[in-house]
Amino acid sequence: MSAPPLSPNVTDDSLYANGIPHERFAEIRDADGLLWHDYHDGGFWVVGRHADVKTVSKDGKVFSSAVGHTNLWDLEADALEARRSLIDTDAPDHTRLRRLVARAFTPKNIRRWEDTVRDITVNLLEAYVEQGEGDFVEAVAAPLPIQVILTMLGVPVEDSGYLVELSNFLVEGTSETQSIPADAFGNTTELRLLPFNSPASHALFEYGERIGELRRKDPQDDLVTSLVQAEAEGGDRLSGSEYRNLFHLLVFAGNETTRTSLSHGAMALADNPDQWQRVLDDPSMIDSATEEVLRWSTPVLHMRRTTTEPVEVGGTHLEAGQKVVMWYASANRDETVFDDPFRFDVGREDNPHFSFGGGGPHLCLGAYLARLEIQVLLEEMAKRNLQLTRLGEPVRAPSNFVHGVLSVDMAVEAKP
Amino acid sequence: MADETSDGVELVGVQVNEDTCIGAGQCEMLEEDTFYVDDDTVIAGVIGTGMLPRDRAQKVVDTCPSRAITIVEPAAEEEQ
Repeated sequence: MSAPPLSPNVTDDSLYANGIPHERFAEIRDADGLLWHDYHDGGFWVVGRHADVKTVSKDGKVFSSAVGHTNLWDLEADALEARRSLIDTDAPDHTRLRRLVARAFTPKNIRRWEDTVRDITVNLLEAYVEQGEGDFVEAVAAPLPIQVILTMLGVPVEDSGYLVELSNFLVEGTSETQSIPADAFGNTTELRLLPFNSPASHALFEYGERIGELRRKDPQDDLVTSLVQAEAEGGDRLSGSEYRNLFHLLVFAGNETTRTSLSHGAMALADNPDQWQRVLDDPSMIDSATEEVLRWSTPVLHMRRTTTEPVEVGGTHLEAGQKVVMWYASANRDETVFDDPFRFDVGREDNPHFSFGGGGPHLCLGAYLARLEIQVLLEEMAKRNLQLTRLGEPVRAPSNFVHGVLSVDMAVEAKP
Repeated sequence: MADETSDGVELVGVQVNEDTCIGAGQCEMLEEDTFYVDDDTVIAGVIGTGMLPRDRAQKVVDTCPSRAITIVEPAAEEEQ
């Protein structure tokens, strides 16, 4: 077989310094079949078209999450085991772990948190308006989701600052360089055994252990209690390592990703005042605006699978045991699915974005929580007739994996 | 079992595979009179008549993230 055509490079973190390299993904979507991407740890197939991402995402049997890793590089067996969370499992392990946390996150049960989300949002928003200008990430986008997920977990909200700090270090762990030493936070574990290769993961594990211990002794009506009780009910329901990794996942994913969406959403509303005006004129557009903020932001740029058998995707034959990387960042701008995909359009009617993944069993657990948070923020901003103005360019997380915004200065005022 | 409503819409049965359901609750959100996610097991079950117009049943089938929902074809029932 002749060598497959090569993909333009989309993995160098520096390519993401000023945002997603969309022109490269356009080239990938335009190619016949799939392109092959060289990578220092073994190359992979690049999946950039919406339809192909969906094919891969929906079939957890042929496209495994448990083999190798769900990031670009393979992990050694012991590291994969130590770091394995809901994300890196296939059925039936995935089904068992997912059910342990799924109940709290069903669309119906998430609705119960609306008042909590609104209280937190109003407090942050009013303080930001009072301030008049400043970093939107620090003032609103970072504290909002972390305070909500901590409330659900049953963790003291006073600790949100510490957990946001840990989360920032974790984001760094998705790029090549880290600003903290390997022994930060008293870490003695080899970094390759920690999620994101980050000592901050050690700190988050420890924090989860401490809270878990408190809830074992004194159960409450919260998510940590239901996790430690599942752990107590028998070793096969939730192991100690599974508990640590689930806690880590809930704190990180319940925080970093929504913060990214809120930040990109705020920037898009500031940059497209005509679109924000449409929402102000007709608040019934908030649902479609929420979906557009999600599509626009693509908080997680890709996820990887590994083939368990030979299969055809997008007209290309894939062998068993090959890496396949689904680029949501590309699928969310697929011109065959979205009219004028580079236009931020709060009224977009059909919006099958992949910001919660491309469908299938690994569909984002927190999808309805994230929707609720974005929706409530838009509602409260609209109620106050708030206008955001950009004061500068954002500081981005230079990462090929998360579409993170570390800070973005804005001015906020209530329009007359 | 009735396979049509009074205005001639074709109705089909739906069932949930309890082994593969991950409790995401999409079915319950789309068709709350037909699906219910059990609070203890976190597995979806069919409630009420368990019958839906075919297009709505198909939407739930397509939306289920773990492909745990299937349509029970009336013809298949007769063969049993």
